[in-house]
Amino acid sequence: MPARNSKQWEKVPGKLSSGEYVDSRIYSDRDIFEEEITKIFSKVWMPVCHESELPDPYSFRTMTVAREPVLVVRGADNQIRAFLNVCPHRGNMLENRPSGSFEEASPSGAPKHITCMFHAWQFDMKGNCAHISRAAEGYQDRLECKDVGLRRLRCEVKYGGFVWVTLNDGIGETVEEWAGGAFDCMQKSLDAEPLEVFHYHKAIIPCNYKLWHDTNSEFYHDFLHYHNRVTGFNDSYFARKNIGFDNGHVNVGSFEVQYDEYEGFESREELSFPHLPTNHWEMIDFFPGVNFNLRGSALRCDIMTPLGPDKVMIEFRGLGLKRDTPEERLTRQRHHNSIWGPFGRNLHEDLLAVTTQQATMSEWADKRRILHGRHELDADGDPTIHDEEGMRHFYDAWGQWMDRWPGDPDLSYEEGQKRKAA
Amino acid sequence: MSDAADNAWQQICSASDINDGELKRFEAGQFAVVVARVGDEFRVIPPFCPHMAEPLHESGICRSGTLTCSKHLWQWNLLTGQEQGPAERPLMFYESDVRDGEVWARVDQELVYEFGEEDDDDFEW
Repeated sequence: MPARNSKQWEKVPGKLSSGEYVDSRIYSDRDIFEEEITKIFSKVWMPVCHESELPDPYSFRTMTVAREPVLVVRGADNQIRAFLNVCPHRGNMLENRPSGSFEEASPSGAPKHITCMFHAWQFDMKGNCAHISRAAEGYQDRLECKDVGLRRLRCEVKYGGFVWVTLNDGIGETVEEWAGGAFDCMQKSLDAEPLEVFHYHKAIIPCNYKLWHDTNSEFYHDFLHYHNRVTGFNDSYFARKNIGFDNGHVNVGSFEVQYDEYEGFESREELSFPHLPTNHWEMIDFFPGVNFNLRGSALRCDIMTPLGPDKVMIEFRGLGLKRDTPEERLTRQRHHNSIWGPFGRNLHEDLLAVTTQQATMSEWADKRRILHGRHELDADGDPTIHDEEGMRHFYDAWGQWMDRWPGDPDLSYEEGQKRKAA
Repeated sequence: MSDAADNAWQQICSASDINDGELKRFEAGQFAVVVARVGDEFRVIPPFCPHMAEPLHESGICRSGTLTCSKHLWQWNLLTGQEQGPAERPLMFYESDVRDGEVWARVDQELVYEFGEEDDDDFEW
């Protein structure tokens, strides 16, 4: 085929139809990014950390959800609660540390309390205001502790002990309802016994968050992972299915990895997660930007925090069983890192690809089509992992939340659907 | 006055361990106490401020018989335990005595200030 001139370049290639590609502006446009924050990320459930990162009463961790500062604490009653990390007095950020404990007194506050360093207002682990400095002198009877509690956020601990938060008080669904069955493939393994985070690193990647999610949703990019491709794959690898769930979540079906065919690798059999068949691999691409990846002996969870149209922070966590012996833990860590660590087999290759993708989709770049039109079905007619159904499923949910058509974001979702039908 | 056989009484420290106006924390068996000195008088108190459990051996300032918690400025007459200024609760004392230059206190039962936390069971979204 010859190269194309500008007019040919603008046309939909081949016989692909609407819904089988997206417009590159959804990865680069600043207005669309802002809308994603307000229309999606501030409306949905997001996991923000794992309960093992809040090991004791008064442990806390801070993060952002849809750019709002969030504080998650474990109370004396062991319940985990989430609040806006904002003082009700003058809007100061209450806690600046990424994690720690409120058990000991801070310089201006009491033990077992959250203290705003600005004017020493204090709050307990339930978000009650417990102290206003010189309250009666300044406010007489016009303002009391009971008037100025923290802004509490809906919070659930669910699916292997992940802490889920939403900014949306009016959300109609529990985490389980929001998941819509997407966790069925690994819930038994995650909930069999307590888990513990053994690996954490974060990276700020110069790409749109959806490019990272895309790459977790399509395995056609096996061609990127040369060493994986030439070893370890078998027919069952390619026969795995892509299964869509309500709300834009996707499963990548399980299969048995032939670790003995990976040079330098060993079977994960001895340390398999509970209820997980030997050396199996389960994966959930969770809308709008989380990935759960259970591979034999280790669980990985990526949580994405979009920072801009071309910037995303990804937090990578590796988890094992809380009861691991030190030896078992080291083995799990080695298994985890050999695939997903900074010097592992996959992760850096994936990150490189999404970075060079984004490099062609800057804000000032010409719009173009990004294809996801592969239909590669198995004998039963179900999409396999080289099918791009996972991305199509995600973008359909994205279009509904955004009320934009992913293939042409100038159109509403309904207009896009009509065009597709035509 | 103590009975030597009454093991509820424990020797906490020597009088000479503490200067006038000083507050010091000691372990008294199962729990900790703070010993304060006003002139030649000694008081043995729980180690927490009755307000919000601030550690008094760090936050407490003792001047002319007045104890001030520097966190939120609650104050007490250290000899009587009576509240002054913004303080809303009195100090609790362990029964104590100085014998042969040693400070003794009756520490059979820990004195605890109750710090209630409001329930949020009926929190409404």
